[in-house]
Amino acid sequence: MAGIYVFSEDSALASQLLTPALELKQSLAQPVVALTLNEADAKQLASLGADKVVVLESSGKWVEGFAEAVFAQISIAGASVLLVGATLRGKHLAAFVAAKLGAGLTTDAKALRVEDGKLVTTRVLYAGLAVCEELLALPAVATIRPRTFLPPVADGNVGTIETAAAEIDTRVTVEEVTSTSSEGIDISAANMLVAVGRGFRKKDDLKLAEDLGTVLKAELACTRGVAEDDHWLPIERYIGISGQTVKPELYLAVGLSGQVQHMVGCRESKLIVAINNDERAPIFEAADYGIVGDLYEVLPLLTAALGK
Amino acid sequence: MPKCLVCYKWTLDEQDIKIKPEDLSLDSSRAKGKISDFDRNAIEEAALIVEKNGGAVDALSYGTAAVKQSLKDALSRGPEKVYWVADTSAETADAAVTANVLAATIRKIGQYDLILCGEGSSDLFNQQTAPRIAALLGLPCLTFVQKLTIEGDMIRATRKLDDCTEIVSVKGPAVISVLSEINKPRIPSLKQVLGAAKKPNEEIKLADLGLKPEELQPKAVRRSVKGFVMQRKNVIYKESSAADNVAKLKSNLAAEGLC
Amino acid sequence: MNFELTEEQQLIGQSAREFGKEYLEPIAAEMDHTGEFPADVVKGLAQHDFLGLTLPAEVGGAEAGFASYVEVIENLSRYSAAVASIVNNHTICAYIIQNWGTADQKKQYLPALAKGDTLGAVAIFETGPTPGVGPEALVAVKQDVGYVLNGKKAFVRNAGKAGVYVVFATADPAAGAKALTAFVVKSDAIGLKVGAKLDTMGLKGCPVADITFENVVIPETSLLGAVNEGSAIATKALAVYSVAEAAQTVGIGQAAVEHAAAYAKQRVQFGKPVATLQPIQTMLAEVATDCHLARLGMQNAAMLIEEGKPFEVEAAMIKSFLVRLGSKMLLDTCQVEGGFGYSEFMPLPRLFRDIAGTNLLDAPADFPEKLIAANIA
Repeated sequence: MAGIYVFSEDSALASQLLTPALELKQSLAQPVVALTLNEADAKQLASLGADKVVVLESSGKWVEGFAEAVFAQISIAGASVLLVGATLRGKHLAAFVAAKLGAGLTTDAKALRVEDGKLVTTRVLYAGLAVCEELLALPAVATIRPRTFLPPVADGNVGTIETAAAEIDTRVTVEEVTSTSSEGIDISAANMLVAVGRGFRKKDDLKLAEDLGTVLKAELACTRGVAEDDHWLPIERYIGISGQTVKPELYLAVGLSGQVQHMVGCRESKLIVAINNDERAPIFEAADYGIVGDLYEVLPLLTAALGK
Repeated sequence: MPKCLVCYKWTLDEQDIKIKPEDLSLDSSRAKGKISDFDRNAIEEAALIVEKNGGAVDALSYGTAAVKQSLKDALSRGPEKVYWVADTSAETADAAVTANVLAATIRKIGQYDLILCGEGSSDLFNQQTAPRIAALLGLPCLTFVQKLTIEGDMIRATRKLDDCTEIVSVKGPAVISVLSEINKPRIPSLKQVLGAAKKPNEEIKLADLGLKPEELQPKAVRRSVKGFVMQRKNVIYKESSAADNVAKLKSNLAAEGLC
Repeated sequence: MNFELTEEQQLIGQSAREFGKEYLEPIAAEMDHTGEFPADVVKGLAQHDFLGLTLPAEVGGAEAGFASYVEVIENLSRYSAAVASIVNNHTICAYIIQNWGTADQKKQYLPALAKGDTLGAVAIFETGPTPGVGPEALVAVKQDVGYVLNGKKAFVRNAGKAGVYVVFATADPAAGAKALTAFVVKSDAIGLKVGAKLDTMGLKGCPVADITFENVVIPETSLLGAVNEGSAIATKALAVYSVAEAAQTVGIGQAAVEHAAAYAKQRVQFGKPVATLQPIQTMLAEVATDCHLARLGMQNAAMLIEEGKPFEVEAAMIKSFLVRLGSKMLLDTCQVEGGFGYSEFMPLPRLFRDIAGTNLLDAPADFPEKLIAANIA
């Protein structure tokens, strides 16, 4: 029988994919099969809702090289839907498999459901300017970004686990891998964020934002320029179209103008507050509350007021 | 002396697209065409490779009749020749159809050592074209490349991924997708612009590609597109006293249960 | 009737716009404060073939038409009219040599001008009422060795940075302007002294200064065109220049109206964006319309120049139009931007001062309306 397949090389993301997969299972009445490269993830996936977990084994490690093997697995029983975690590796693999399947693929799907035997997905277009709905004939593939869904709650059922030998693409040689995540901070898990932009004149001035973060118990985040151009904060803290997407309770934007490419990463925050000295800055259109003023004056006052 | 092919897309400049307030639909009537930003990086990268290693660059694009407006633009940026497929199917083509058409065209026009694409198109940013073409042509694929070097028939790339950089190598031919940080596309000099008129372009007719009808049917069909509009409270304090503004904001935050 | 630019013209305009955004936008405000000549930018212009745009390929030019040229000027002017001014004055110098120079003169001077290795300038005006008249008039006296120049030229743009000057001197002080004659003079000629740089109201970065000639000896081969042909040459060159300058004005106007429109959408007063208020809409609409019509007129005149057709009346018309309405574009856009726009850290004050420098009446004898009125039907 055809199944609903999920795959991610990232453990947390793989678990999150089970949530939409289980919803699709309700509509399609098909088993959820989780493919994984990590033996260690198998138990978790089996206990969170996968009816079957297949661990793909190979001497090779290159995730993208497993694309052919993923396709082979799917082809055994057939898939109506394949959900792949939207890491960059995942996107590469998903597109490859989709081509082999002759299937459509929605990139960075934010929502999915079945309607009249087709998959309906929602995604963002034009660098955040628009939102669109796509209709995909089955089999269909979708990539899903981290933290779009929460992982399901275990209900006591445990799926089966099996291993399968995987043929990996050996044409590509991996010569060197250098880790770039520096501190292991995960700002997407933060409940509240203070985001800084280029309104801050120098790196030391970020202390004003840090102090505010301390009293609010908020993490620090930033715009692309602050991370990639100025290198004042690590890239993990950069929020935007090619950075992190966050949905905190409070997003406090200080000294940042609020361009679409940044806002697309934070616009689902529950509450957005802005501090900027330019009342024409687009951030004020996107804010629930805001202060037009000099951040060098406002921040210390705000920190003091909230600290009481 | 690698023979390079760059696939590019002629897109509408997303900055010119406006949201109609009545129904949130998109108005692209005033949008100007442009070569997709990341494809410019791909074209530039091919031009740099050929400047360094010899060889030649061709360009290829699949689009509606509007793709003809892109030819001189593409030729002014380094390629010696541009191939183009213009068909109304491009209006609704999804990544699957696009890849089918490009792969079929590549099979027809010749052997290339390097096939380059941008990471994704600047309008839809599907990020699928390169791996799809590679799968269809049975070629290895290197994506998200921020640095590329060619040594003989060895292709070495530094890929920038979510949590690491990875150096990979593969023997050509291969399909490569490049990141915007790989280079800074040069502004075409006026002689390059004027020289573009003298370079050849060749139309490839869709009908001559031997594609089956189902290969031209989009598998992902766009059903609705709506402008995203932020609905926020927009309570902005602009008093001359920063302390007053702060006091008001504090009471709002307290009311929202955040402090 | 085809009003669309050709693909080449569009792409050339696009390259100029990208160049402007990349290299001119970051320096425009600073250059306006310091008045410093943008040497690096001029090198960049040369590398992108902007300095030899209309010159023939055999001297290293890009051989593009004048309609393409004005596309460049308009787009550069949107970011820095001062830089566009440098290009315009350089180009007119090359234009004169191209059209009136002997084969040898063209071979000697044009390649360096086309490549941008040498910057060009034109010296027409003087402190007196007409070139060739008055105690400081530049006089060229014929001698065995060639000509000796004595006198002073005023308001020479690109002065001090140019390597080559096209200079107009009178061959007969008694005849004044009727004996005006053109010469090519190298900047290193002995006795040629460039005066102190003038601190101008706008277009800062494009140097302007007087040039004094003290017994400057130039060879016979410096004669450009025929003796006494100078007035005709200057008139023609200034007519072409006025179209190039119109492109500058349109570029400045476009930049101003776009900035003001964006400002009006954001600035909230009386509870709404000021863009919704009728007086603001009227001002913006008038400026946008004038700019649009000026552009069409300017492009039409440029097309006539490119096609070698009579263009002087159309050039005079666009000049007259912009003398009347050029500054109004900035007066209105400044009004739209109000107090905020009045600060020097905003662009409009610079654009205001720049546009005032692009509509100065500088025809040697006739004012544009005279020519237009004489040629109606």
